[in-house]
Amino acid sequence: MEIIFGDVVTGVHGDGFEYLFSWQAGGPVSFNVNGREWLYRAPRPALWRATTDNDRGNGFPVRSAMWMGADMFATCSKTELSVDGEPVAKPLAPDNNAFGGAVQAQTMTMTYTYTLPVVPATTVTVAYTVTPDGTIGVTVRYEGKEGLPELPVFGLRFVMPTPAKGFTYTGLSGETYPDRMAGGVPGEYTVEGMPVTPYLVPQDCGMHMRTQQVTVTRDSVLDNSKRGDRSEFSLTFAQAEGGEPFAFSCLPYTPEEIENATHPNELPPVRRTVLTVCGAVRGVGGIDSWGSDVRPDYHIDAQQDHEYSFVIKL
Amino acid sequence: MDGASSTQSADLSWLDKPGVFRVNRLDAHSDHRCYATQDEAAQDASSLVMPLDGTWKFKYSPNPQARPADFYKLAEAPADFDDIAVPGHIEIAGYDKNQYINTMYPWEGRKYRRPAGLTPDDPGIGAFSEADDNPVGSYLRTFTLPEHMRGQRIHVVFEGVEQAFYLWLNGHFVGYAEDTFTPSEFDLTPYIDETGENIIACEVFKRSTAAWIEDQDFFRFFGIFRPVKLVALPKIHVDDISVRSLLSDDLHTGTITVDMRLSAKAAADLAGAQTEVVVTDPQGNRIASQTGSPEHDGDATLVFTGIAEPQLWDNGSPNLYRVEVRLVDAAGETCEVAQVDTGFRKLVRDGVKVTLNGHRLYILGVNRHEWNADSGRCITVDDMHRDIDTMLRNNINAVRTCHYPDRLEWYRLCDEHGIYVMAETNLESHGTWQKMGAVEPSYNVPGNSSVWEKVVVDRATTQYEMLKNHPSILFWSMGNESYAGTAIAAMDAYYKSKQDGRLTHYEGVVHNRAFEDVISDLESRMYDTPEGARKYLSEQPKKPYILCEFMHDMGNSLGGFGDYMELFDDCEGFLGGFIWDYIDQQLYAPDPVTGGKMLCYGGDFDDRCSDYEFSGDGLLFADRTEKPAMQEVKYYYGRYADGNHIR
Repeated sequence: MEIIFGDVVTGVHGDGFEYLFSWQAGGPVSFNVNGREWLYRAPRPALWRATTDNDRGNGFPVRSAMWMGADMFATCSKTELSVDGEPVAKPLAPDNNAFGGAVQAQTMTMTYTYTLPVVPATTVTVAYTVTPDGTIGVTVRYEGKEGLPELPVFGLRFVMPTPAKGFTYTGLSGETYPDRMAGGVPGEYTVEGMPVTPYLVPQDCGMHMRTQQVTVTRDSVLDNSKRGDRSEFSLTFAQAEGGEPFAFSCLPYTPEEIENATHPNELPPVRRTVLTVCGAVRGVGGIDSWGSDVRPDYHIDAQQDHEYSFVIKL
Repeated sequence: MDGASSTQSADLSWLDKPGVFRVNRLDAHSDHRCYATQDEAAQDASSLVMPLDGTWKFKYSPNPQARPADFYKLAEAPADFDDIAVPGHIEIAGYDKNQYINTMYPWEGRKYRRPAGLTPDDPGIGAFSEADDNPVGSYLRTFTLPEHMRGQRIHVVFEGVEQAFYLWLNGHFVGYAEDTFTPSEFDLTPYIDETGENIIACEVFKRSTAAWIEDQDFFRFFGIFRPVKLVALPKIHVDDISVRSLLSDDLHTGTITVDMRLSAKAAADLAGAQTEVVVTDPQGNRIASQTGSPEHDGDATLVFTGIAEPQLWDNGSPNLYRVEVRLVDAAGETCEVAQVDTGFRKLVRDGVKVTLNGHRLYILGVNRHEWNADSGRCITVDDMHRDIDTMLRNNINAVRTCHYPDRLEWYRLCDEHGIYVMAETNLESHGTWQKMGAVEPSYNVPGNSSVWEKVVVDRATTQYEMLKNHPSILFWSMGNESYAGTAIAAMDAYYKSKQDGRLTHYEGVVHNRAFEDVISDLESRMYDTPEGARKYLSEQPKKPYILCEFMHDMGNSLGGFGDYMELFDDCEGFLGGFIWDYIDQQLYAPDPVTGGKMLCYGGDFDDRCSDYEFSGDGLLFADRTEKPAMQEVKYYYGRYADGNHIR
């Protein structure tokens, strides 16, 4: 594969893929696979879920409200690059004049650090490692800070340019959460579209725990030269080799869009895909809806470090 | 004044008097099935019943003063009467306002009201009869008696009318009834025109003193919302039948006792009459029969002893025996065939342990409101079948009929499919004792009031008498969230006096432990934590422990279910519980933006006060599709559901 040291973007190209990692946008701006785009905007840490009835009943969003701001307004405070294991200290203009052309490489890692607008401030680091077969290894690290309230979720959110036609995953049946997954039957499941569970008041939904991999399939692009082309194309998010299963949801909305609706028909028209790949999910609880907390084992302690990995495969 | 009294004219002040809750309403009786012939019985199609469902003429009035008070005298409906479908809620037909509210009374912040009858100097007259927030529905229709029903005694049965109603036939006052969720039956014989057109008039009030004890967490409706039917009583008729299927201690021998109360059109008809009783086993084999003669007062008792190795009834094998009674007159003609299905099962409480047929009983239950998103609490038999299928598919083995008796068809389905029932009396007075979460019973009813005690004991009596033969019912529940006092203790004593082998249930005694020893055979809690349950069960518990409501399945919920289920493994006194609840309460309404229809909840009808989305706690969405959490229920209940034996 070859690396293009641009003035604003570091590109990496190989057989069937072209990835653009921006130094300005705070993350990758393009995962182009076989000529089709997978990113609408740079992925961001997922730190909020649309509150559930039980969340509201037990005061969780009041205690943890700052994570909603962090989810919306995390800013990239540091970007680092290494190629073939060696840090590249000066990849941008005018130092990039020195490369004189494309550079061949076996591995490239871009690491973005996001400073979160919480008090006290802390960071999430996302490292993308590309190898010549086009696989992107992703490692997401959260830095725990004393005094921070519990997290609703910890993950990485990918917004894709057009709606998914569906997704196929290997994991547990149905919608599962860490405290509600005993009944989930392991297997491979195909879901048509991106169903939003029609809870009376829209709220977080569609989580799938203990997932080995999920393949998202789309059949539309925004590319003006491919309008009307409805051929299907897919991208797979999988458990890292030797790593742990992950959780994900594949919905047409961001948590903030869902949070605003009081009925399902108030949700906006479906225009995009929001895939959230999670390393930690808070339980939903169920003892009552007016005060009882989620059982102790299913909280996400924001005072501890968290880290998880997964891979994106062609 | 109660069922024993009769009167010739209606009095609006009955709405205000807690002591008047039924006038000329006949005493409740068993819900046995009656047919004119053996053939009809074989086909379960009775010619003795004529539905009065369908289109009635209807006038809505916003309050009692505005109502057409003399409409019952008219020979036909005036031009300003509309058409309305019976059964159905008046609000859903487009009148008044849908309102969903939980514990607050629906007039909160608008009316200062206190229950009458708590102090001698407060008769409460006018509180409802002169209220401007008490809408009225005036119903009118005609019917002609079919030829085969002529010459017989004719009763009318309103299976459910919310919340208080007066009835006239051909201009004659017939009766008055409250108690929304139990059938009200009246004798029309004195007033009926056997060959001509009859005009039946029904005046329904949205509010009465019954409102104080029908403060359930649901949409507040009024109207004739369950079927209405005419019933013909043959010249000899089984008024009531009590079938008890008893088992020896070793479960190997059964005895069936059949106690009947017969009535005759003329006393002489009983002379020479015979009762032929046949018992068939679950496979339809005739296993016993007896012939007897009724006493001169119409009572008859038959006992079948020594039934060897009866096939027991439980969730895994709901074996039903059938008792069929044929009434034969002196000339040898069949007058009526009556049927009751029964089951052999033995419920035993031994300290904190409860067994059914010698095996530990696991209550893997759910609370079920009757609900349909199109028609509210007016549901169909098809809805019931779907609910039974959903329960069986997901290992749910028990239902609490929160918080009122259901349509009678439901209990028969539970018998047939082995669903255990906690049959709950129509009672909830939540707003009289709990305010903003705090226990504050300053004007609680029924409390310790002798007047209100009569009301609630009548409701218990009605429930017992109509449902007593159903093997599916294991528990009599006094009602829901009404605090505790002497009135509820009297209900408990009433149910216990029947000595029918069932257990009594009531949760509210938790808030008034003074009545702990006289109310409820079970220690019942709602929304206790797993730790709380474990604590009770490990500290010399007095009673078996049941969660009459738990796992509040509001929205995306039902997490941590396993922590409750493991109590089955660790605590012998844990009887299980009923998930809150079965189905979201939402109503379809037009979406003003798209023109399509949308599911609406409290507050979506400009209804205030409201508790908004708090009615969305079901395992099913309001359209009867299952929520994702159901797979968790199926899994955990499935671990204990195998015919009550641990897998």
